[in-house]
Amino acid sequence: MAEAVSHTVETAPEKLMTQRSQRIQEIIAGYAFMAPAIIILTVFLVLPMVAALFFSLTDWNGITPLFDRQGTVNTQAFEMVGLENYERLLLREGSRQEAFFTSLKNTVYFVLGVVPVQTILALVLAVIVNQRWLKGKGFFRTAFYFPSISSSVVISLIFMFLFASNGIINQGIKALFPGYQNVTWLNDATGVIHALLGGLGITRDTVGEWARTEVLSIRLWDWISGPSVTMLMIMILNTWTTIGTMMVIYLAALQNIPGQVYEAAYVDGATTGQIFRKITVPLLRPTTFFVITLGLIGTFQVFDQIYVISSGGPADTTLTIAYLVYRSGFDDSRMGLATATAMVLFVIIFVFTMIQRRIVGGEKAD
Amino acid sequence: MATATYDTIQESTPLSRALRRIVPIVGYTILIIAALTQIVPFVLTVANSFKCLPAVNEAPAALIPVAPFGVDCRTPEGSVRSASETSTAVTFNPALEGYEQVFEQNLGRWLLNSAIYSVAIMLLRIIFDALAGYALARIKFPGNRLIFTAMLGTMMIPAIVLLIPRFIILRQLGMINNYSGIIVPLMVDAFGIFLMKQFFETIPNDIEEAAQVDGANRFVMFFRVILPMATPALTALAIFSFQGMWNNFLDTLIVVGGNQELWNLPLGLSFLRGQSGEALIWNEFLAGSVITTLPMAILFFAFQRYFVEGTTYSGLAGQ
Amino acid sequence: MRNVRLIVLMVGLFALLGAGLASAQTTTIQLAGWSSSDAENAALEAMVAAFEEANPDIDVELIFAPEYETFMQTGFASGDYPNVFYVDSFRLQDWASAGVLEPYGDQITNPDDLYASLRDIFTYDGQLYCAPKDFSTLALVYNTDLFEAAGVAVPTNWEELRAAAEALTTEDVAGLTTGIELPRFLPFLYEAGGSILSEDGTEVVLDSDATITAVDYFVSLYTDGVAKSPADLGAGWAGEAFGQGKAAMTIEGNWIIQYLIDQFPDTNWAVSELPVGSEGPATMAFTVCYGVAAAANNDNLEASVRLADFLTGPEGAMMVGESGFGPMPARASAAETWLSSRGEEFAPFVAGGDYSYAWSFPPGFGTFIDTFNNGLNEAVKGNVDVQELVQDSAEAAQEALDELM
Repeated sequence: MAEAVSHTVETAPEKLMTQRSQRIQEIIAGYAFMAPAIIILTVFLVLPMVAALFFSLTDWNGITPLFDRQGTVNTQAFEMVGLENYERLLLREGSRQEAFFTSLKNTVYFVLGVVPVQTILALVLAVIVNQRWLKGKGFFRTAFYFPSISSSVVISLIFMFLFASNGIINQGIKALFPGYQNVTWLNDATGVIHALLGGLGITRDTVGEWARTEVLSIRLWDWISGPSVTMLMIMILNTWTTIGTMMVIYLAALQNIPGQVYEAAYVDGATTGQIFRKITVPLLRPTTFFVITLGLIGTFQVFDQIYVISSGGPADTTLTIAYLVYRSGFDDSRMGLATATAMVLFVIIFVFTMIQRRIVGGEKAD
Repeated sequence: MATATYDTIQESTPLSRALRRIVPIVGYTILIIAALTQIVPFVLTVANSFKCLPAVNEAPAALIPVAPFGVDCRTPEGSVRSASETSTAVTFNPALEGYEQVFEQNLGRWLLNSAIYSVAIMLLRIIFDALAGYALARIKFPGNRLIFTAMLGTMMIPAIVLLIPRFIILRQLGMINNYSGIIVPLMVDAFGIFLMKQFFETIPNDIEEAAQVDGANRFVMFFRVILPMATPALTALAIFSFQGMWNNFLDTLIVVGGNQELWNLPLGLSFLRGQSGEALIWNEFLAGSVITTLPMAILFFAFQRYFVEGTTYSGLAGQ
Repeated sequence: MRNVRLIVLMVGLFALLGAGLASAQTTTIQLAGWSSSDAENAALEAMVAAFEEANPDIDVELIFAPEYETFMQTGFASGDYPNVFYVDSFRLQDWASAGVLEPYGDQITNPDDLYASLRDIFTYDGQLYCAPKDFSTLALVYNTDLFEAAGVAVPTNWEELRAAAEALTTEDVAGLTTGIELPRFLPFLYEAGGSILSEDGTEVVLDSDATITAVDYFVSLYTDGVAKSPADLGAGWAGEAFGQGKAAMTIEGNWIIQYLIDQFPDTNWAVSELPVGSEGPATMAFTVCYGVAAAANNDNLEASVRLADFLTGPEGAMMVGESGFGPMPARASAAETWLSSRGEEFAPFVAGGDYSYAWSFPPGFGTFIDTFNNGLNEAVKGNVDVQELVQDSAEAAQEALDELM
């Protein structure tokens, strides 16, 4: 009480002073709260990122020691090459450019295939689980979430087991269709669009000369291959493991929408379909933004599953950008190129996130 | 405002009544199919981890265990029992062959290390992610937004490229082959801060204002008022952190790969896999998968509610 | 900044102190490798124990790392890595050119006893970098029951190999299975008189008639359906498909011996040298040496060399021979020991040591290998023609070579 009284007798300049000191106190508090996070993230994430950016301007092989036993810097380890690594990836014709654009093509097919499907399926499942008439909500939630708790290595192993060429999936198909020839799901480089076109009688040899033109070191015909069968399987795997998490996120958001909003719409005579399109979807926009952002970051960086299942093969059709980073940096002793590739990937993810923020318009100004 | 209740507005045409009967059937069908695709692979994994290798290859779909239990996968003379001796198309005699090799290894030690890393990181993240998340959500200080954006940016770079620089830093700090080398770099994470920030933004302002009038400074307020309110979000963060560290492979490899005594389960299992070369010893791999997943699954069922709520808070992002 | 330096200094000081106290009596050196079978790990442990007994002043710390190369590379980059470590022949040129290896060839005991072909593999820039630990060669492994049933003789040349594969192929059994990859193909290339690089390694000579002949032959086995890949047979590798009786022949190394004995004791099989091509016999040698960390990054160079020399010396080779599992001792003097403990019937693997080629490439040849493997996989499915495959691969090799110059 005494303090409250003393406040009232402050003169105007004093009040300004207190406000000011309060602001300073806030700033101190802010930095103090952030300090551990800033220190750890700077030392173990930002600093390595800066180092990676630096290496992308060098020809370092990733092996030659940067220090000797006493900690003295080894100046012979690399030379500065400016933007050459970026030039070789993006501009100069050759196998580096070919590898990069192959991985870009594969990654884009992967992202465009997985993110929309994962988002839409998650939304549909969430809407159904959110229905009032549904019994066993808890069971379904649990069942959908379960694959997310396992490590990606374990999940990949299980998938390899199921889809082995004499595995349970092929045995099952064979039991249903006796004439079925085993498909080697996890080692089939056929592009699905190529396969569809082939079904219509269109092949590389019949489609015309234009298809052999190389753009960015890849034939036009190969640009439109679509994901390979193996890549498609990994896309399904990825969707399978993430859909539960996404569904639960949507479910939470759906439960946040007040019932009155729907009631009002019913009173106005709106149909169920209209309500879903005109009310539910727009209200879920921020959540959709979040789900897609997580999806983009996750799919653009897909690595573990590729590493375990296919190592980029068959015929480089599952070579993703993140895997290419690993391959050039560790298998191929070209750390300069690897870090440059990682930087390009960083920019791509950033741009995609910005574009989808425009389209989905999820983040309200705050 | 809208006083009409949900039920009174449902009086509508016979068509919509028929629809209302069909919709649940379709809904249940979709859900059950989807749920089966999520669960069946795990059931198959567990079943096949208990089979003899030939039975895994010939009868992967056999799901019903029948006596005799614990069969030997080899005859006393040492030859391999064929699939038909230990399985039919739907039944199998459970065997422990797959688990035997896994248990021959230093499993207890790896399990213990996994637990140490996961618990330590979980506890530290609860404190530091919450502190940072709170500051970003509620305290106005210069650079607030910039720090947040930079933090999100760190999620966009592929982790593999940071391995070597991070190893060099850890080495300079003398943290290689050391528990601290794993725990310190991972005791704060961008996703956790993001999660906590979203949560704190949902707490009404007046609670803090009331505390402020009582003369509490930010620290007192945070620990006395805010943190106790955040229990559900903290539980979720705890589970995410525990789960992430439990499955961590790459960070553990570079920091403690050189000391078997410090390995966690994923490293140990990868070591086991290396021993089998390129051969696909499925019952053993699946047994390893079951062993890694089981502790998480137990935690999951025990704290299921929080798991699901945990993702719920992250869902508030962007709102 | 000053604080950081201080901390680093302190940490360094403590480390030195600790090291100093420990080294008063013994030196500790680290020996790193990847994990193999339990038997192989145990054999190495026994050898290390023997070394420690003979050298009481040295303590050896054994490290078996999963994801060995990634693990080593992070260590290399930082300059802090084990004193002695496995070097796969495939990695030799990479690691030697990066300066992480100390060439200790001049300190090896009785180097002439080591197979000349193996010494060549570990020679880079005219220096013998390290002594081979052991080696494996490829040979033809065949299922004797299936051969008997089909009444086929063991093939000794390309024509016979094709004829045998045709005769052995049935609905359920492939005549031959091999991984569709460069190391399984290369013996055919060398047997046809082809090569990837010229003798002196300065020129790509892959685009030749010999290569076309070899690729044509290899690919036609698959396109004609008498050979199948392990994946097509539902196996992780050729040995597994062979053991399961899904293929009558395979081209594999001596690591297959213990595997087949352990996993498929009921399969009856035998080994012969690879069928000979028009230009003579060839096989691949896969080998590993004990590399020693470069002087700048090695506090115990002398002790490291002593350990490496012990493990690869006459005594070490004899121990490899006696333990008799998978790989063969790298010294000719120990070959008989290996054969008598392993079994005389495996002589074809030893014989390969005389005409084997190295599985080893200049730095940066990863893209070439990828290009070739991808092409070969497409070719066996009939999607790519052989000419195109050879040209693309030769271009990739040329590009990798240009990068080095």
